[in-house]
Amino acid sequence: MIKNYRILDLIRRGRSPLENHLIDGLVDGRVSRRDFIRHGSLLGLSLPLLGGISTAAGFGMMPSLARAQGAPGATIRVASSVPAATIDPVTIADAGGLLVMQQVAEFLCVDGPDLVLQPALAESWKPNDNGTIWTFKLRKGVKFHSGGEMKADDVVASIDRLADPANSSNALSVFTGILQKGATKKVDDYTVEFHLDAPNGNFPYMVSSDNYNAVIVPASYKGDYEKSFDGTGPFKIEKYTAKVGASFVRNEDYWGPKALPDRTEFTFFTDVQPMILALQGGQVDIINQMPVLAGVALLNDPSVDIISLKSSAHQQLHMRCDDGPLKDARVRRAIALCLDRDKLAAGLMKGRSALGNDSPFAAVYPSTDTSIPQRKQDIAQAKQLMEAAGVGSGFKITLTTERYLEIPEYAQLIQSWVKAIGIELELNILDQGAYYGDAVFGKSNWLDSVMGITDYGHRGVPNVYLAAPLKSDGTWNAAHFKNKDYDTLATSYIAALDLEAQKATAGKIQSLLLEETPVIFGYFYDYLTATVKGVAGVQPTAMSQLFLDKASKA
Amino acid sequence: MVFLGGQVLPGNVGRAILGPFADQRAVDALNHTLGVDRPLLTQYWSWISNFVQGDMGTSYIFRSPVAPFVMDALGNSMKLALVAFVLVVPIGILGGVIAALNLNRPLDRIISLGGLSVTVLPEFVTGIILILIFGVWLRWLPISAAWPKDAGFFTQIYYLILPSLPLFLVLFGYIARMARSGMIEALDSDYTRTAVLKGLPWRTVIWRHVLRNALLPTITVIATQTGYLIGGLVVIETLFRYQGIGSLIFTAARGKDFPMLESGILTIGIVYAVATLVADFLYSVLNPRIRLGTDQ
Repeated sequence: MIKNYRILDLIRRGRSPLENHLIDGLVDGRVSRRDFIRHGSLLGLSLPLLGGISTAAGFGMMPSLARAQGAPGATIRVASSVPAATIDPVTIADAGGLLVMQQVAEFLCVDGPDLVLQPALAESWKPNDNGTIWTFKLRKGVKFHSGGEMKADDVVASIDRLADPANSSNALSVFTGILQKGATKKVDDYTVEFHLDAPNGNFPYMVSSDNYNAVIVPASYKGDYEKSFDGTGPFKIEKYTAKVGASFVRNEDYWGPKALPDRTEFTFFTDVQPMILALQGGQVDIINQMPVLAGVALLNDPSVDIISLKSSAHQQLHMRCDDGPLKDARVRRAIALCLDRDKLAAGLMKGRSALGNDSPFAAVYPSTDTSIPQRKQDIAQAKQLMEAAGVGSGFKITLTTERYLEIPEYAQLIQSWVKAIGIELELNILDQGAYYGDAVFGKSNWLDSVMGITDYGHRGVPNVYLAAPLKSDGTWNAAHFKNKDYDTLATSYIAALDLEAQKATAGKIQSLLLEETPVIFGYFYDYLTATVKGVAGVQPTAMSQLFLDKASKA
Repeated sequence: MVFLGGQVLPGNVGRAILGPFADQRAVDALNHTLGVDRPLLTQYWSWISNFVQGDMGTSYIFRSPVAPFVMDALGNSMKLALVAFVLVVPIGILGGVIAALNLNRPLDRIISLGGLSVTVLPEFVTGIILILIFGVWLRWLPISAAWPKDAGFFTQIYYLILPSLPLFLVLFGYIARMARSGMIEALDSDYTRTAVLKGLPWRTVIWRHVLRNALLPTITVIATQTGYLIGGLVVIETLFRYQGIGSLIFTAARGKDFPMLESGILTIGIVYAVATLVADFLYSVLNPRIRLGTDQ
């Protein structure tokens, strides 16, 4: 690897200390190129610049992000889950609804494959020295479908609307403790500042596609989104019929390259099996999101392509740290040692997942400390821990969970594995409504159960997983885990702007969580999208978004 | 009852809409906007007083009037039920009649046992098998019952053939068995014997004397199945992506969308009542003793 220091020095001159530290990390080999690209995109460095630095540091050219251009004019047909409620950028919470909304409305930036943040309505962004103020530069010449130009006022109104507790905002749980109403400020028509409650090194993800409510709509928006479907996206609404489907046509006034398809059609299904049959029967071209167990028939079907995205989505197995036999960390570790994670990844998840190491730090995160040893099945050690905890003869306990995806099968596997250390696990598998209940302590099987398994969707950064389910005051702390050291570390991680600082803190958190094991993270499952052969240029994200502007059909 | 039953289910409307991970302040704000934080009696009175005036209220989930959803779904369910009836009633009765006329012969056994066998198969099993055969492998029929916009009458029928086949299989054995037993009883009756001894042609005996009496219990059975065909097809509607009233009620129950749930259930109740009334009317048409108000 030949490094071109002259070019590197030239590039360094205009950069902040934080950016230069990241560049130094790449040059010195402390940061991998992949992590450099991902973290550089978070700091607001453009992809061409990141590619230039990477080349000058001797890593060769970056692979082109541009995909082969297919033939224009197709109608792309997508099978989607039914939007669970009226489509409104403020309240929307389900995959079906946000998929429809995302066809017409755009984010400031997009959390793309490999978690690289890509500019969209914002051209660039950067933090102040301590990460309490993030400044976003907006793209000029972007028009809403209704005609007006997208400017800072629209961004301020859109984000303020989401941060206002009076608005039933589904993004409020993301912004709580980070961004308040009124803290999004217009600097000029094309510059917006976010003044945060506390330093946050990952803030751009909170206003990216990672926060699926954070689409930019006109400042004048007053509700009734289904009447306008106004946005800035490459497609415009043609027809929307609640519970049935939606269709879109190309937006000829789009600020970027015009979409290849003439039309897209979304057909709503209430279950995945009819979607699979529709794909096999030639009635749709794409299944946006396909659970691995339900879609086994398609995984090896030669007429189908599977787009598999590594994600941080997972099933959290929480164990109550404040009561009963699970109060002892040795017992929790013993249970975690019973899991055969290789079998989970290869068998249960058909090879479409990555191993979990009992912390939210999935392999996809650049900050994950990969030097922490992977926890493996060790029944002998588990028995020793049970003996040491004084429960060598075992005990009986109930695992409560939801009937969703592969969770019931996962629970049965755990039930079988913990028998080896004398634990008799009774399964209480509930309908999702019964499991979550009112989703507040005291009124929820999820938050009150002794043991439980809960599905958590993908996030581009681990901030939410680190705070809500694990911090002492976390609103989703089903494990009732209270540890001051952990709280300090999590706060420190969230505040860190520097990748190496994040990684160092991540390592400490990973070690602490392995010791305490309030939650078992067995595996992180891949996000699967199925397309029929001949459909190309489809770009899903693990947040259930589907970008079809470069899609074509053979 | 529906309203009270819904209240004991865990969760609330705001939570159902915003999901388990939403901030509690957002959930409270939404519940307040929707008016579901008012006392239960107030909510119920508001809904029922509007319903009796013809206003089904506004859906919590879709934030738009309930009536168009219920009427569209009811219309769709009736279309599917009609296609299923048109297929199964004549064929089922014919099967029963043929079985009875061939009592204890191989044809009788094939119809009786075959009908019984397919009746006990759940709709989702037969539905998937039929989709695989006619939709995926042969590609003769669309596997989704949702027809394209602006589809004409025959196109709609074409889209309804496949979803109506599992219903045909469920009901065929039932109707055929009832027709068969009615026929056997009628064939063995005194009036049939008298008609034969009078020298009437066999065809006249069957049409005028046997069938008319034999079909009475079958009509009752058909009428009782109307409610099931219109309101109880959640599995079929899900499998074939059909917007019927069964799936509408199911979705409303899951989302705690009470105006939609209550209006949907009340509508199905009305359909049941009307179907039973029509059955009684037909029964009286076919049985003069009932029409004359005597059991003589």
